[in-house]
Amino acid sequence: MELAKSDFIPKDEAAAQKRKVLWTPTAKSGLVMWLTTVDHKKIGFLYGFFALIFFLIGGVEALLIRAQLAFPNSSVLTAQQYNEMFTMHGTTMIFLAVMPLSSAFFNFIMPLQIGARDVAFPRLNAFSLWTFVAGAVILNIGWFIHAGPPDAGWFGYAPLTSKQFTPDHSTDFWVMGLQLLGVASIAASLNFIVTIINMRAPGMTMMRLPVFVWMTLFTSFLIILSFPAITIALVEVMMDRNFGTGFFEVSLGGMPILWQHLFWVFGHPEVYILILPAMGIISEILPCFSRKPLFGYPIVVFSGASIGFLGFAVWSHHMFTTGMGTVATAAFALATMAIAVPTGVKIFNWIGTLWGGHLKMRTPMMFALGFIWMFMIGGLSGVMHSAAPADAQQQDSYFVIAHFHYVLIGGSIFALLAGIHYWFPLMFGRKIAEFWGKLSFWVVFAGFNITFFPMHFLGLNGMPRRTFTYDPNLGWNSANLIASVGAGILGIGIFIYFAVMVYTYFKGERVGKDYWDARTLEWSLPNPPPEYNFAVIPTVHARDAYWYEKHHQEEIAKEKAEHAKAEESHGGIHMPNASIWPFVTSMGLLLGAWGVSGVTADPSPGIHAKLAICLAGGAIMILGIYLWSLEGNEGYHIHLDENGNIKEDDHGHGAGSAKH
Amino acid sequence: MRLPTLLSPRSDTPISFWQTSVARWTRALLALAGIALLTGCDLKWWQMDGHQSTLVTEGPVAHSQAQLFYVTCWVTAVIFVLVGSVLAYATFKFRAKTDADEHAEPPAQSHGNPLVEIGLIAVSVIALVIIAIPTLHAIIFTHDVPAERKADAYTINATGVQWWFRFEYPAEQISGAGSLVTSNELVIPAGRPVRINIRTLDVIHSFWVPKLGGKVDMIPNRANFLWLEAEKPGYFWGQCAEYCGDSHAVMRFRVIALGPKDFNDWLDKQLQPARTVTAQTAGTAAPKAQFASLRKFKQNETGITAKYDVNPLAAWQELQKPDANEDAALIARGRQLFTEKTCSACHAIRGHMPGGSPAYPDLTHIGSRSTIAAGLLENNAEQLQRWLRDPGAVKPGNKMWVDGYVKNNIKLTEADEIALVAYLQSLK
Repeated sequence: MELAKSDFIPKDEAAAQKRKVLWTPTAKSGLVMWLTTVDHKKIGFLYGFFALIFFLIGGVEALLIRAQLAFPNSSVLTAQQYNEMFTMHGTTMIFLAVMPLSSAFFNFIMPLQIGARDVAFPRLNAFSLWTFVAGAVILNIGWFIHAGPPDAGWFGYAPLTSKQFTPDHSTDFWVMGLQLLGVASIAASLNFIVTIINMRAPGMTMMRLPVFVWMTLFTSFLIILSFPAITIALVEVMMDRNFGTGFFEVSLGGMPILWQHLFWVFGHPEVYILILPAMGIISEILPCFSRKPLFGYPIVVFSGASIGFLGFAVWSHHMFTTGMGTVATAAFALATMAIAVPTGVKIFNWIGTLWGGHLKMRTPMMFALGFIWMFMIGGLSGVMHSAAPADAQQQDSYFVIAHFHYVLIGGSIFALLAGIHYWFPLMFGRKIAEFWGKLSFWVVFAGFNITFFPMHFLGLNGMPRRTFTYDPNLGWNSANLIASVGAGILGIGIFIYFAVMVYTYFKGERVGKDYWDARTLEWSLPNPPPEYNFAVIPTVHARDAYWYEKHHQEEIAKEKAEHAKAEESHGGIHMPNASIWPFVTSMGLLLGAWGVSGVTADPSPGIHAKLAICLAGGAIMILGIYLWSLEGNEGYHIHLDENGNIKEDDHGHGAGSAKH
Repeated sequence: MRLPTLLSPRSDTPISFWQTSVARWTRALLALAGIALLTGCDLKWWQMDGHQSTLVTEGPVAHSQAQLFYVTCWVTAVIFVLVGSVLAYATFKFRAKTDADEHAEPPAQSHGNPLVEIGLIAVSVIALVIIAIPTLHAIIFTHDVPAERKADAYTINATGVQWWFRFEYPAEQISGAGSLVTSNELVIPAGRPVRINIRTLDVIHSFWVPKLGGKVDMIPNRANFLWLEAEKPGYFWGQCAEYCGDSHAVMRFRVIALGPKDFNDWLDKQLQPARTVTAQTAGTAAPKAQFASLRKFKQNETGITAKYDVNPLAAWQELQKPDANEDAALIARGRQLFTEKTCSACHAIRGHMPGGSPAYPDLTHIGSRSTIAAGLLENNAEQLQRWLRDPGAVKPGNKMWVDGYVKNNIKLTEADEIALVAYLQSLK
């Protein structure tokens, strides 16, 4: 018996009846489309859209911090405002900017790179997106109400987060906001893992995966393995604050040090969650603009895996000053040094990729090369931190700030900015003008280094971090002023970048398919890619799949024609239906989280109101999940003519039957 | 010139106009940065010899940490120069220089070279071993007082409280009052190892005197300790290094290291109850005229004058002697106000005020300390009055303001402030 594709979709005779109860959104534009879409590209776009907004908000917070510190003992911000700024700057940049921006690329690019038509669970994908948005709302809601935004640091060390020391709701927002973001991240990661394992095109073996897909896979594993630690820790804080438990409550025998272990068991893999996607992007851009394959592909992949693995064995290097004793300190110091090896390997391989190539100095390549330089500095200052006794002087000083901004801006952000430039022609069919791209690169590059390089000196000169003011007699004045001027330049650079990006989105020059002469499958698509991605699922014959296609055009054309016929005989291109229920489920979570974090149980509005709001949120969430599951796995089919235009889709035909 | 070439849009648009424009932009930015630099007081931003320098060190623990830093610094610098040179060379050598370069046949599609890769891994491991050995050595050395010097070590308990430090001398017992206690200024014997037990009363703080040694966190339910030694007598800056709430930035302290005789003299004086000034014991000089009205201070205005940059130890020693022109009547009035305004509910002044609480600074010898408000303000009449007038403005969220002034509705007239200042300054 020939196994037809549609046989995988169970035939459900009751489907037509259900459709009358349940609304199947068919909007192709407008708000309803955005709220109900399950298209990985639209979801990726929304991730990017929200991430960039929060990136700008986090940037404004950073500029306010630098404005306050430009001069000693100044009073641009009060102590309270300053503490809110650095707490929200860290939380925003990590959870609401870099992670979702990486997620935007995972969503948009990864399925295209493996030759898939969507992620494995399109509605779960929508749920991840809207839960992320809900978490972002909870985190930031404090700006608009009396409690104020969180101010206990992005790391929220107990017991500062206890009811005794932060009695208002700001910490509750932080706890529940992060909790929702954790749900979103874990759901998204499971989705990506299943997609990468199960939905690769024929011939796309694991060792042919583009490195960006590998890094997506590692990052997703890091997320599902590390987030449970912070989830538990946050539940414990929530219990301590709301129900009088004593996990971290000293008067009840709680152990504040436990928080640090739980937090950093999450927090250190989180660092790699932020940098591995960046490394993936760089590993795509360098081969493309060098016009040769990545140097030492297997070693780059396995070093990524070792970084992910070792990333779980070094958390206590964030705690060298907590009095761990000689044995633990030595063990974590050595493990931290060990992780420098696979990281160094990647840099060597990137340089090896350049070697002997034809380097095309376009904007993405500029950012990628900038990335290597800056990441090298950040990585080497990381090695300095691994020498635990030296770190006893550097810990919580500006030296650390310099170090991790070199890794997170010079690393992650440079790579993400490179990625936006690189994939912009694919995503929107327009290209960003080279002049403006390069100008923004040089201004960002200069501003970044002027801001953060002097901070190494500040730290070694004894300036502690998270301080809203400093005295003028400690030798910190000039370096702080330089850093603040640099921050202004960096801000101008980012502004240029964004202005040009937005302009290009609306008015940029249109370009054709495969603008960069690239190597991976996403570039085989017309731009912007159609909703079904691939008219015919590609068959992969080599590691740089599209490069191979371009150099074996006849063979591929013949193969495609055959496969197109086969697919059509199987019922055309199967597409998932849009759905509102993931959005409804997320909004239930939002309401419940607001009930837990934002409603005062005593005195007003009282425990009953709090309970009612929490239960209403829970009920909406369960209703959403219930209706979502009632929808089943229905979809519709698209049929293409010879030119790849949509001949017919059975979506609007009312019957909604997936079967032919 | 390289820069405009790198900036040029290459094959996309004509470049000559942009080249000049870009060069102009770069010059403008550099000029801007230059102006910004010049407006700062000194240009030597790279100098790391401030009061909290971790590299200009004054004790064996800090020396060991600084030396280890230099090892890591040199090893990583060499790696950076080597790898950076190869990267720079590759970038310029293999750059597509012309339009023709870009459209040339693609280069050889090579996939890697296992020998080169394994070789580089081996080299990285060797570089890390060079760092690892001194690291392990320093971990053991900086952890605790070396065994052969244990007998000579002097023990002190340091406790962090939001937002100040309490120092306890368990070796110095006072009958009926327990150990000798002081606040925010830790006096230690120079040339002797000092073992400090690190505790906290509330949230996590961190004890850090950069010139003497790295930090150790003060964590609830955790018996941490550190050791340090000042080789010579000196005056050192310390600061809380773990975020601990509102006023973390202004939770500072000082360490004063004294030679053996000076240290013993200091201990003898500290063991005495608070000094009482009567008409007979008052200084011989005429009492000061009334204070000028306190000027208005800007928010966060610096509270330290230059004399602590020139010779802080001498300035500190000067403060150990009573003023020549004390006003006994004013001091008596201040002492009375100290009870009336409920200051004594929190602050102990041994011999004058019974009670007080270990959760608040002991003021028995506050007149002999060089700073007030946890190392924030210089201990002089003007700053003391500024502090008493509006502690909330000086140190956001502090307990004297929140739990004292606000809760108990404490109001001081200018005359009250002056009397209290005179009293506190007399407590040498």
